[in-house]
Amino acid sequence: MRTVLLVEDEFGIADVLARVLEDEGYRVVTAGNGRRGLERLAESKPDLVVLDFMMPVTDGAAMGRAMRADPAYAGIPIIMMSAVSEATVRARFDGYTAFIRKPFLVPRFLDLIARTLGQ
Amino acid sequence: MAGQDREPGIERFPSGIPGLDEILRGGLLVGAAYIVNGVPGAGKTILANQICFNHVAGGGRAVYLTLLAELHTRMLQHLRPMSFFDEQAIPDRLTYLGAFKVLEEEGLGGLLDLLQREMRGAGATLMILDGLVAAEEAAPSPREFKKFVHELQIHAAANGCTVLLLTTGGIGQISPEHTMVDGIIELDDELFGVRTARSLQVRKFRGSGFLRGRHAFRITSDGLVVHPRIEAIFAMPSRRDRPPVARVSTGTEGLDRMLGGGLIAGTTTIVMGPTGIGKTTLGFHFLSGATAEEPGLFFGFYETPERLRLSAREKGIDLEGLEARGAVEIVWQPQGEHALDELGHRLLDAVLRRGAHRLFLDGVGGLLESAIHPDRISRYISVLANEIRALGVTSILTMETREIVAPTVQVPINGISSLSEGLIVLRYTELDAALLRTASVLKIRDSDFDPRLHVYEITGKGLHILGPYRERYEEILSGSAHRRPEPPAAANPGEE
Repeated sequence: MRTVLLVEDEFGIADVLARVLEDEGYRVVTAGNGRRGLERLAESKPDLVVLDFMMPVTDGAAMGRAMRADPAYAGIPIIMMSAVSEATVRARFDGYTAFIRKPFLVPRFLDLIARTLGQ
Repeated sequence: MAGQDREPGIERFPSGIPGLDEILRGGLLVGAAYIVNGVPGAGKTILANQICFNHVAGGGRAVYLTLLAELHTRMLQHLRPMSFFDEQAIPDRLTYLGAFKVLEEEGLGGLLDLLQREMRGAGATLMILDGLVAAEEAAPSPREFKKFVHELQIHAAANGCTVLLLTTGGIGQISPEHTMVDGIIELDDELFGVRTARSLQVRKFRGSGFLRGRHAFRITSDGLVVHPRIEAIFAMPSRRDRPPVARVSTGTEGLDRMLGGGLIAGTTTIVMGPTGIGKTTLGFHFLSGATAEEPGLFFGFYETPERLRLSAREKGIDLEGLEARGAVEIVWQPQGEHALDELGHRLLDAVLRRGAHRLFLDGVGGLLESAIHPDRISRYISVLANEIRALGVTSILTMETREIVAPTVQVPINGISSLSEGLIVLRYTELDAALLRTASVLKIRDSDFDPRLHVYEITGKGLHILGPYRERYEEILSGSAHRRPEPPAAANPGEE
């Protein structure tokens, strides 16, 4: 079973996406901000990280940079998601694997997850 | 921008919302905490976001935190078409954060830590907490919630960060947190018959005066536009009234003679009369004396500019030419659901923008129809007239009376004598199976005038005073004049 670490601060979105991913057979670990996300990397050993851009405490760009700087996590694919444009996100952090702009429909999200995992 | 070298609780920063800063006497106080309360759909989210974007455009740093409120994604989608929205400001200068998870996992203490971190660490000078009710529900006791609000205020003051707490509640209800915060701004959206009207009221604003009472606002593609109540904002005219010295022609020689030499400059005159009597024609004459250097303004509600131009042309007055030369501007307000104060501000803005010396307002009925609270209208017009007078504008306001031919004149508003220096009544009088138009000057403050009834006609050359009624007619004011049997009458009203 593939594991997805979902790092998202908005309560409703995190809840819905986690349920959708679980229904598709993924194991899902959630975190409400980048700092919590970094803490859960070691314990969850994810195959993929879905990372929101704007978050409290440690934002998505900071968490992404921390992952890429750590050899243990540098190879894990990252899907960055945000309500702001990809250009805005890329200006802060360009080390992600794929980008999806909010709002999005679930099939598109699941398709991107599958493609990023090479399924 | 405000916020640099700041003394918490004293310095202000403008909200940037048109009208609101006038109500707040300059803006929000730096380091203060305000509750923004309102019914769902009242406009709290737009107001808060508009202040955020204006704040960051001025060099500030803002954080918008939500607690079980509208999703950021959806919120940004709704905001994007608004003119104040600036994608480039996000996320470096304006950051949207979800705080509910923190609240759920770490309680009010964790939420307070997050808020403090954003103030100190991220250097936020403005913070929005959207969905305060979620924090209240998460509090183990009312006392803990009050402690949270209190500590948040301390952090805000200590860090010079202004905080807006958005909450949904009954208008006018008092909650414990209302007594603690520095100010309360309420937004309402009320139904009057089949019509709704938005209003904003500042209920409390520590450390500063403010314009009390309700003020109308609209939500436009530019965000909120607040129209401070005319009676409140111009309770004192914006400048000192200048003593009138000159006369201004009405554009009608005979009427000028009746008035003792024309209208007194910088005064307001009300022209009353039924439909079709020639009030608007009189306005054409009055504005025909305007020049590019001393322009005139036609502020009307009924006829479109095209119809006005045609009507003027039929009376021999080249309104289009006056417009082309920059002497006259027509500002037309199509009949609709206007807010009374919006109209008042639009009128004054047009007067200031054009530097108008003459104003023809056609007519007061358009204002009356916009009034949700008709009991305001006398005071509203009085204050509006005071401000127009203070701007040095000579104005004519038309007022339509309901009856066509009647022994009495029904004035549509109370206290008319206090509204203007001059009062001219135009009436129909039946005589020998024909309707004659008559004009009379009832009042010109501080000036002699000819009080006799005069007959006038409207032709392809406009409005012309023919002369006064002669003694042989009686019961003229009854609307049904007739000749006295003795001595034998000579003819119709003669030339003056």
